[in-house]
Amino acid sequence: MTEFINRYRRQLTWAAYAGAALALALFLADQLAGLRAARIVQTLISGLLVGGVYGLVALGIVVINKASGVFNFAHGWMMVVGGMIFWSFFTVSEISLVGAGLLSAATMFMALTTVSYRSLREGRNLAVFAAGVVIWTALMTIGGIEWKWLHAAAGTFAGAILTGLAVERFTIRPLIGQPLFTAVLMTLAVAEVLHGVTQIAWGTVELNLPVFADPATGSRFKPIRLDQFREQLGGIAIIRVELVIAFALALIAFAGFIVFFRYTSVGLAMRATSEDQQLAQSVGLRVRVILAITWAAAAFLASIAGVLQGGAVGLSLNISFVALRVFPAVLLGGLESIGGALVGGIIIGVVEQFGTLINSSEQVGTNLAPYVVLMLVLVIRPDGLFGEKRIERI
Amino acid sequence: MANLHPAGVFDTTYDEDMSIDRTARDKLWKNLAFAALLLLPLLSVSGPLGLKLVSDQYISLIGRIAIFVIAVQGLNLLVGYTGQISLGHAAFMAIGAYGSAILARDLGFSFWTALPACALLTGLAGLVFGLPSLRVKGFYLAMATLAAQFIIPWLLRYPLEDWTGGTRPLSVPAPMIGPFAPYAEATLSDGEPWTIAAGDPYFVDVISVNLQAGAGVEPSIALRNPAGDLVLAGDINMTVMENPGGQITGFSYIAAKAGEYRVEISAADSAGAWTAAATVSKALSFSTDIAMYYIIVPLSALLMFLARNIIRTRTGRAFVSVRDNDLAAELLGINVFTYKLRAFFLSAVYAGVAGCLLAFERNSLSLDMFQLDVSIEMLAMLIIGGAGYPLGAMFGVTFIRLLQEAVIPFARHSLADLLPQVFPFIDAVNITSAINPILFGGALIVFLVLEPRGLAHRWEVFKVAWKLRPYAY
Repeated sequence: MTEFINRYRRQLTWAAYAGAALALALFLADQLAGLRAARIVQTLISGLLVGGVYGLVALGIVVINKASGVFNFAHGWMMVVGGMIFWSFFTVSEISLVGAGLLSAATMFMALTTVSYRSLREGRNLAVFAAGVVIWTALMTIGGIEWKWLHAAAGTFAGAILTGLAVERFTIRPLIGQPLFTAVLMTLAVAEVLHGVTQIAWGTVELNLPVFADPATGSRFKPIRLDQFREQLGGIAIIRVELVIAFALALIAFAGFIVFFRYTSVGLAMRATSEDQQLAQSVGLRVRVILAITWAAAAFLASIAGVLQGGAVGLSLNISFVALRVFPAVLLGGLESIGGALVGGIIIGVVEQFGTLINSSEQVGTNLAPYVVLMLVLVIRPDGLFGEKRIERI
Repeated sequence: MANLHPAGVFDTTYDEDMSIDRTARDKLWKNLAFAALLLLPLLSVSGPLGLKLVSDQYISLIGRIAIFVIAVQGLNLLVGYTGQISLGHAAFMAIGAYGSAILARDLGFSFWTALPACALLTGLAGLVFGLPSLRVKGFYLAMATLAAQFIIPWLLRYPLEDWTGGTRPLSVPAPMIGPFAPYAEATLSDGEPWTIAAGDPYFVDVISVNLQAGAGVEPSIALRNPAGDLVLAGDINMTVMENPGGQITGFSYIAAKAGEYRVEISAADSAGAWTAAATVSKALSFSTDIAMYYIIVPLSALLMFLARNIIRTRTGRAFVSVRDNDLAAELLGINVFTYKLRAFFLSAVYAGVAGCLLAFERNSLSLDMFQLDVSIEMLAMLIIGGAGYPLGAMFGVTFIRLLQEAVIPFARHSLADLLPQVFPFIDAVNITSAINPILFGGALIVFLVLEPRGLAHRWEVFKVAWKLRPYAY
């Protein structure tokens, strides 16, 4: 018997997977049999659209993991921070000059002292500092309420970079050379601190972030109704415009980052650093600066995702749970794969929406299905779909 | 992790190296500290001696600390000694808590049988979620346990809602020894209430009534407490028995408050067609904080001692070798997978015991008590205390809990006054619940950067320095 198992281990494993897949398909067919085609199409489409934002969140986690080998559990709270800063600049009619000045001064300070605090002794850097503070403060406060898009974009950019740089400087940098376990705990600790800070500053109430308002009416878009397919689908599939815009923007951000990674010298340096930090240092790349840029970029990605998610479903501390659902997506796509982040995000989005379709009252979609996928990935293919195989040496 | 010794002190035999107490004086101090801990409730305000030296608040605080010491020590076995990260420890505690509560409420177990049963149950759940450790490790395993942290509360909340009550709080009866043989009996008759003087917080009186009625007769039984109020069937101390037809055939009530209790039976239309016998017996109840203290603290000390001894066995040494390098451990002939599973099992058993104690100490359970935050908090406690040190769990839990007790009330008021003045957009309401995550997140960051080996290491260094004073080495 054991001889038989050992001999046909591979075939038996595949047979077990095929059997499980068949059982799952039968179960799904049974669950979905009573539903109209329109609802299934609608679920698929909204899963795809939600998955786009998940992919963007996953991209931020993958970027950090590629460059510094740290899995960022605080990413969800970075999303919240970014979204909340955007909300502050976007909805508050009068932006305080002092607040904007402090934010830009802190950001410029952190950016200029990335290598060493001594760099501020040079006159040239001080001039850059002053100019940067003036320009950013001006961008954040110029004009009236009709300039709110500019204010919000400049404020979120500065806030995200400040968050990313501060997290990297004060928590990740001191841990260089420590075991991975320490870094995991550190990001968890950062998540808790960001949780407390956002709760103090913005409270637990859900905030309305009217990013996706119809410019004509100023209210929310009317959902798209797929009337023309009524005959084929046996009903009307409804798609929310907010999700479509968020998906499109997520794809643009995604494409932007891929271009950044592939075609800019900083992106090249980041990829080199992720391959081997010591080697990168020995060919003259400034690893410290590159790690700082990576964290700032990831925080900026998190902010974009936070704004999109907040605009689509409402902004509150609960957005951080999105990142918890994205962890399965990251592992599914593979920890090192940028394309895998998008694929994983979309798969998790679809799974989540179908879970909600099958059983909406018990939070199957949001609280169970992604984690079941996570367990399956870990047991069947721990490296994910597109991840690198890890080979260990003693 | 090897113990630190002062310069010039060497272990010359294996027994010496393995000893728990190196000198007789160490042992004396340890036993004295334990005895002092056991004496503490007797000196408290509501203690039986009436000494009023220690506030009751501290007794319940020590009780809660001791419960979390058990849970964090379980985490220490898994994280500190075996090197497997777990983000799902709170979920295992939830299994222990809800398991024991359901066993005691619905399945007729007493606390004493529910405790080992739910420890075993939690251990088995730990085995299931330890299975991925066959294939993945390090950070991937953290992900697998994160899945446990979501799947287990989901299971408790929805599929098992009939038993756990879903999101509603679940009340848990207090542990009890007894009831012993009845000391008073009475046969009840219609319209004549039976009055009995009973009740004591420690030696409670169990009043039980057994009704036997003929077919079609539906007498109603009622109990009035010393205040004269009717005790409702949903009361936490009341257990109601029903026949298959859904009629009440009796009850037993735990009288903890001293006074006169009255049992009344009325069946207006059909007198004589029924008989009712009532008995009162004494039992030892653990409903008060002080009484629970004498369950929790010795059990906590016992489990700490047990964990320390596990580490000294072959199993413990295998744990440490898996942590230090699992490939090398495998080459040495250690079956890494079974030892990882053993670590998961032990860790979950500890979590189960802690969850069970938490349920019976609080007398009320809700799923909010076992969220991801609690798992992270326990990891933070372990790191701050010192992962891989026998006393790490104790130091960490005590430090965090004392920090919370000392800082939060102080910080709440001063911050609520200060922050809204500086930043006008801040609402003082939000500050209260936000201090806690900032506090232990900040403490964890500080310890990871400045003292990654934790307070237990600092304590060892301090002990060495004390023994060598006034010399530096």
